[in-house]
Amino acid sequence: MAEEKNAFKITPGEPVGVIAAQSIGEPGTQMILRLFHFAGVATESVIATAGLPRLVELVDAKKKPSTPFSYVYLEDKVKNSFEKVAEIVKRIDEIKVRDLAKRTVENFSKGTIKARLDPQVLDTTELTAKGVASKIGKLLGVETETEGNVITAKMHTKNLKEIRAGSVKLMNLTVNGIEGAGKAVVRQDLKTGEFYILTADSNIDLILPIEGVDRSRIYTNDIFKIYQVFGVEAARNALAMELKKLMEEQRIDVNDRHLLLLADAMTFSGGIKNVGRHGLSGEKLSVFARAAYEETVKHLVNAAAFGEVDPMKGVTENILAGKQILLGTGTVSLAINKDDLAKIKPKK
Amino acid sequence: MQTEIIDHVKFGIISPDEIRRISVEKLTIPDTYNEDGYPIDGGLLDQRLGVIDPGLICKTCGGRAKICPGHFGHVELIRPVVHSEFAKVIHILLQATCQKCHKLLLDEEHIAELREKMRNVVVLGEPEENKGSTVEERDSLLKKLKSVKKCPYCGTVQQRIKFETPTYFYIGETRIKPDEIRDMLAKISDDDLQVLGIDPETSRPEWLVLNALLVPPVNVRPSITLESGERSEDDLTHKLVDIMRINQRLEQNINAGAPQIIIDDLWELLQYNVTTYFNNETSGIPPARHRSGRALKTLAQRLKGKEGRFRYNLSGKRVNFSSRTVISVDPSIAVDEVGVPMPIASVLTVPFYVTEWNIEKAKVLLSRNEYPTVLNVIAKDGKRKRVADTNREELLKELSAGMVIERQLADGDMVLFNRQPSLHRISIMAHRVRVLPGRTFRINVCTTNPYNADFDGDEMNLHVPQTLESQAEAKYLMEVENQVFSPRNGAAIISSMHDDFTGMFILTLGETAVNKKEAAYMLSRAGVYELPKAMKGGMYDGRAIFSMLLPKDLSLDLQTKSGRVNISSGRLVEGQITKEAYNAILTSIAVKYGMTDLRKFIERAARAADAFVTLYGVTVGVKEYMIDKATDTERGAMLKNTLANVAELIAKYKSGKLEPLVGYTMRQSLEQMILFELNKAAKGAETLISKNVPKMNNALIIANVGGRGSVFNFVQMSMFLGQQATLGGTRIKRGYASGRVLPHLKARSVDPVDHGFIESSFRTGLSPVDMYMHAIGSRISESYKSLLTARSGYLQRRLINALQDYYVYEDNSVRDVHGNMIETIYGGDAIDPIKVKLAKSKE
Repeated sequence: MAEEKNAFKITPGEPVGVIAAQSIGEPGTQMILRLFHFAGVATESVIATAGLPRLVELVDAKKKPSTPFSYVYLEDKVKNSFEKVAEIVKRIDEIKVRDLAKRTVENFSKGTIKARLDPQVLDTTELTAKGVASKIGKLLGVETETEGNVITAKMHTKNLKEIRAGSVKLMNLTVNGIEGAGKAVVRQDLKTGEFYILTADSNIDLILPIEGVDRSRIYTNDIFKIYQVFGVEAARNALAMELKKLMEEQRIDVNDRHLLLLADAMTFSGGIKNVGRHGLSGEKLSVFARAAYEETVKHLVNAAAFGEVDPMKGVTENILAGKQILLGTGTVSLAINKDDLAKIKPKK
Repeated sequence: MQTEIIDHVKFGIISPDEIRRISVEKLTIPDTYNEDGYPIDGGLLDQRLGVIDPGLICKTCGGRAKICPGHFGHVELIRPVVHSEFAKVIHILLQATCQKCHKLLLDEEHIAELREKMRNVVVLGEPEENKGSTVEERDSLLKKLKSVKKCPYCGTVQQRIKFETPTYFYIGETRIKPDEIRDMLAKISDDDLQVLGIDPETSRPEWLVLNALLVPPVNVRPSITLESGERSEDDLTHKLVDIMRINQRLEQNINAGAPQIIIDDLWELLQYNVTTYFNNETSGIPPARHRSGRALKTLAQRLKGKEGRFRYNLSGKRVNFSSRTVISVDPSIAVDEVGVPMPIASVLTVPFYVTEWNIEKAKVLLSRNEYPTVLNVIAKDGKRKRVADTNREELLKELSAGMVIERQLADGDMVLFNRQPSLHRISIMAHRVRVLPGRTFRINVCTTNPYNADFDGDEMNLHVPQTLESQAEAKYLMEVENQVFSPRNGAAIISSMHDDFTGMFILTLGETAVNKKEAAYMLSRAGVYELPKAMKGGMYDGRAIFSMLLPKDLSLDLQTKSGRVNISSGRLVEGQITKEAYNAILTSIAVKYGMTDLRKFIERAARAADAFVTLYGVTVGVKEYMIDKATDTERGAMLKNTLANVAELIAKYKSGKLEPLVGYTMRQSLEQMILFELNKAAKGAETLISKNVPKMNNALIIANVGGRGSVFNFVQMSMFLGQQATLGGTRIKRGYASGRVLPHLKARSVDPVDHGFIESSFRTGLSPVDMYMHAIGSRISESYKSLLTARSGYLQRRLINALQDYYVYEDNSVRDVHGNMIETIYGGDAIDPIKVKLAKSKE
């Protein structure tokens, strides 16, 4: 039985890194075409960047994904009530003046900025023009007036530049929800029937303190955020999960082991390192390996100036030198010293 | 076998003393050849620097062109110049040290701490795990030292040191000349350098300011003789001539006591020429140009980039014993064979090591004067002799154990076969040679998949391993047999395809029967020379024929998408063979009988299935794509429904009642929802086709079975083309003002038909608007494809570069070559991904 089990074991020496890289990289060409044919079949893939661009984003360890979002699951006592969840959403849902009013009208002689709120949009929120006005007043530290849906902010200055800047500032004010949390909506899990919150940003650190939020189940597609909030181990898992999800969406069958190895490689140092010249490849010990990859001259010059030593152990270095690489069958060597061999006398 | 070992490589700077020591000659004359066409003594092509012309002898080592390794010379620079590539390092060092006492601008406590850390890394020469963090620490320290105002030792107030690209330095506002820089750097103590991680033994910073310039041997910069007899010098030689000329002029002016301005100008020019000699793409200065206007290719340019020394010549090397030609199909040869054309087989050779046990065989080979014969004999001293009819007898007499003969490639030799781009390891596999007439390489269709090859003119490469080790490794690690399952996911990548699946499916329908002659033909193609038991009426059941291909004691019972498949004791009792069932058979054969039997099964099944489709004849014509009245009405209703849904969405949008998607504006949400609705229509059409089209429709069979095409293709031909997508999967909206794709369309329309939704099918034909939309879609898809292949290629390169040093250690952990542990157990269970599907079938 033990023997049979070993039949499926990986062979020591196997260059699993290269195999993982090839397994992830090779279907890249297929990804392109598939992304093309079926754009947005499932509701979620409509939202997020998918396919090769997303893979590049993950591998680059971008500080923020191009389409960040997060799932906020809730505690048992709230999760089954739409009303209670909607209550929480109201607290999170980030609404800026910009979302309510299309543009501002500045009056430089009077020193005022007018913003006409769109009644249709206003209706979809629980906000009132009065409430928005008082919020603006508080945040900008100015007096405000409301006339129907028109809000007038009286600035303390008549300086053109300052009013212009004030107008931009005003449009970016958050009048509802948590700044940086993004737009939030209630969604229902079709399997369990529970309600959860989907937000259009990844700042889960702002959402975690809210009462009713299940901290053990919150999730975002922003690896870096997960790293900041929950640490490397969580980031590693999230990275592997995102990679797996991506491959599944593209209907590419890649074994988890390859994705895990990539995630581990990017996180084993304790932080997140990207795949490229500012990450894993750029921090290699070997001067030759770095020089052969990118920025050849820079690496050679620095090596010379500091008197660096290349230990000649990696794949690239040994290929450059025309030596056998130290992976695969190259991992084994003779235990007998060559010189000692000469001493052995052949038996007659 | 590898006997020489490079343990490590130490980088450093060559000191002026070292330059003078290794130089064989101080060069003084800024010229190459004299009027007679002879190299000038003391010139740049001095014969002491080595020789490149055949016939000449090196004046240093006495060797001929091929033997002489070349020797360095040097030029004494009359005034020192800064090595521009190191200017940044010089700047950092000047900033980090006191301008008066030249000590590190750091108090003793910090110095002691850092010294200890750096000692491990630099002085002991141990590149340890913590090197990365130490280097980072040093870099951040150097940044801090920039802003130190006062020397903690002598109390001198530090002025700002300014650096201007490429080589100008200022203390405050006054320029410091290279000789002053050199003096400042020379006064930094060895101890302080060690603290910064600089090894003073090999990299004293004052050496970064050049007094003497090393001149590379002529082999490095060979001159070429044009057809006209005119000599053309290498770019480096040109550059060196320039440097020497300016150097000479500078010397003359100094000696003649010329005014300082002139001397400074010439010094400046010397600096420029030395800078461009090292790197002709230095920012801030114009590149030095050839007479023709082409920028010179100097040292940095030789190393850099894809065509540079590193990536072009060192990471990838040219090889011998290889060949390349067009590939074509041969279903008759085995999966693990490659058909090699005679013209190639008679040129490529395999070494045959003559011993006292095989010398007789060697003699037989050598004595032959046609095809399988010997091309070269390599004597014990390594001398290679070409075998010809004139010297064959003589060589035969000389032949003895210990010699090597190079025989022509023959049947059964293991060779490596490759098709580029080599995206994964199965792009190179070991095949057995089968010498065939013709001029192309022949491969079995089943191996076409891992290579991603087809036969529309593809070419492939063949390599002959030249040592016994490499031959053994090729056989045991790279042989086609062992590559049947892909390391990506464990699925069979070498298998039957297209028509074979169609054949197997129809053959095993249950109602298919063939007569004796047909049965015999199919089975004999597969190499099976007995017939199954005939049914009543002398016909043979298709399933019984397929069963003949299976191992006699194979049993399998599985549920596939198209029903149960039951094989008991090598007999297919129930179910049709689809791709899914076929793959299940492959895994269980692999587990039970091993890879050789698996390979043989793949071969047999492919041949028999191929023979069957040929006899049966599966054709697809317009007829297959005609749909009946009822289906057509359903199609109409469905389209109408979809368009109504879209219209509803648009109405909602216009009245502002549309619930927007998270993170999207109302407009974007509408787009997404419309797209979703339209895609749903395409999916609906597919189900409609699967439901309404008769089961035995050839087009549907080949689509479902994986023979060729897809149900969506069917839909496009018989129902409607659907949405033409653009970049990123949005609808077509580019074109004229107000969002019109074509000039006559309504402005600001969001209507599906105005943005590339095509309601007509290929069968009914496209309207002019449809045709335009389709053309837009095709063009975009074509350009998008090429754009993203480049992107995915670069991604692949980066991934491989980042992960290439990782391997599985003896304890099943994943480590890099330096011993850092990446994973404690590979994949959590140390299971080989190539075998995952096998392991699963075993459960």
